[in-house]
Amino acid sequence: MSDNASPFIDSAELALAARHEIISMTSVAQASHVASALSVVDILSVLYTGTANISAKNMKDPDRDIVILSKGHSAAALYSVLALQQFFPRTWLSQYCNNDAPLGGHVTSKGVPGVELSTGSLGHGLPYGVGIALARKKGGAKGRVFVVLSDGECDEGTTWESAMIANHYNLDNLVVIIDRNGIQSLTFTEDTLKLEPFADKWRAFGWQVQSVPGHDYGLLAQSLSSQSKPLCIIAETTKGKGVDFMENTVLWHYKSPSPDDVVVAFKELDEHY
Amino acid sequence: MRDTFVKVLLEEAKKDPSIILMTGDLGYGVLDTFEKELPGQFINSGVNEQAMMGMAAGYASTGKRVFVYSIANFPTLRCLEQIRNDVCLMDNPVVVVSVGAGYSYGSQGYTHHALEDIAVLRALANMQVIVPADPLETRELTLAIIASKEPTYLRLGKSKEPAIHTAALKISAGRINEVSGGDDGTLVFAGSVGTVAVAAAKELAAAGKRVAVASMPYVSTIDIDYLQKALAKGPIIVIEEHSYRGGVGSAVLEALNAVNLHGAIGLIAADQNNLSQIGDQSFLRHANGVSVENIVRRFIALAADQR
Repeated sequence: MSDNASPFIDSAELALAARHEIISMTSVAQASHVASALSVVDILSVLYTGTANISAKNMKDPDRDIVILSKGHSAAALYSVLALQQFFPRTWLSQYCNNDAPLGGHVTSKGVPGVELSTGSLGHGLPYGVGIALARKKGGAKGRVFVVLSDGECDEGTTWESAMIANHYNLDNLVVIIDRNGIQSLTFTEDTLKLEPFADKWRAFGWQVQSVPGHDYGLLAQSLSSQSKPLCIIAETTKGKGVDFMENTVLWHYKSPSPDDVVVAFKELDEHY
Repeated sequence: MRDTFVKVLLEEAKKDPSIILMTGDLGYGVLDTFEKELPGQFINSGVNEQAMMGMAAGYASTGKRVFVYSIANFPTLRCLEQIRNDVCLMDNPVVVVSVGAGYSYGSQGYTHHALEDIAVLRALANMQVIVPADPLETRELTLAIIASKEPTYLRLGKSKEPAIHTAALKISAGRINEVSGGDDGTLVFAGSVGTVAVAAAKELAAAGKRVAVASMPYVSTIDIDYLQKALAKGPIIVIEEHSYRGGVGSAVLEALNAVNLHGAIGLIAADQNNLSQIGDQSFLRHANGVSVENIVRRFIALAADQR
């Protein structure tokens, strides 16, 4: 694929292009977590097409919005979106996970424009985002902080410690978006460690909470448009979204697509989008 | 030591609004003045060391010098991965400050004894580990830390530590600070346990051995030049209030090995034979083998071997 001439404006177009990249790069690299990336890519596409004030051109602006992908295993989704939005050359994607390549299997910030925090161990992104949001609020700096979590990540104590801190300081510049696909490492979240009643938990911690269909670009963007306190968006997603045989199964948390899988997957993307 | 640290930090923070003091709900009677005078630069995170350390890293990423204050193992072992990933990997200018080095919290029990922190923190890449000996070193090292932007671990004693240095200090990063000279060998220590080294040097002097006594506050950047000269004089005993496993003595041996230096080196550290033993700092040091008698015995044995 040739490089797009300018960044995408439309979330759906960006997400579709990113889905192709995600499937290609995880196949070429024989890397894991393709389904996690397909689950979160619509959320990232909404953020990087104007919902968050962040672009390749304003990365040095101290008032820019900050996006942290705390579920660092979905690196392929973030890298695809950033490359397509021209934060760095798209050729980097084809070297994903290669020796001495810029992009690795978990989100790495060093030398990768647009990545604010290296992640990969769950439960780190939210405390970090709370720190930035608190510093900005105390210092009068503008710009919101968006932290994208996985639902399984909410097993981590730091999630709830941070939720308390954000409420205590009324961080109305902090947004959590949870990729609520219902599956974690070994099985479904509700069979592993019950998260429900999930929205009520966040509400009880003092957050403004909204559940949103997580692959609906318009509703996602709308849910992020205003807040009066820390905002938690529970984005109801499907793991592996867009490719039938990858959807809603633990298998594709780990498996990497074969060349044949890629052909079938691309055909499905053509049919679905 | 902790009062000196907070006093110096407050003086500097008044001049530099980028200095932030964060605590994990500890420091009663110690941090009050700082909070009262600079409320905008003070944050009590609550009892949540892991979130606090991640938050400190994020806060520091906005261009602040964040000091995270707590006691014993709470700001180190409890939130180790946050220090590793969010502070060291991201190269954020956070200073982890732990009060209660070694057996400082004596009778409070093993949960409050910091005996593995040096080993663990110095194993981290991009982490400067600093262990002051007394209030004078604490003052100078705190100023040096503020001037640097490196991820740093500052290991402090508690309160009322006696002065070990008797003359004004000129701190230089990575350098050993000699307390007193001597030509027969050297007692190198890190932290307030230096008082034991000073006492041992007196006993050795009475036995006809004149040994130098030297404080080594920089534990992750070893002063090879000093140690090389010391080895040429006679045995070196490294004294620490910490486990044998991976502590200051290990750091010295590793650094000397890397430059192919060797000689008569003895380690005096806590043997941790009884984790549940109750007692004050002095009692527990002695009970765990960090004693004047052991230092003297070890030095004399090594000196005899060298003949």
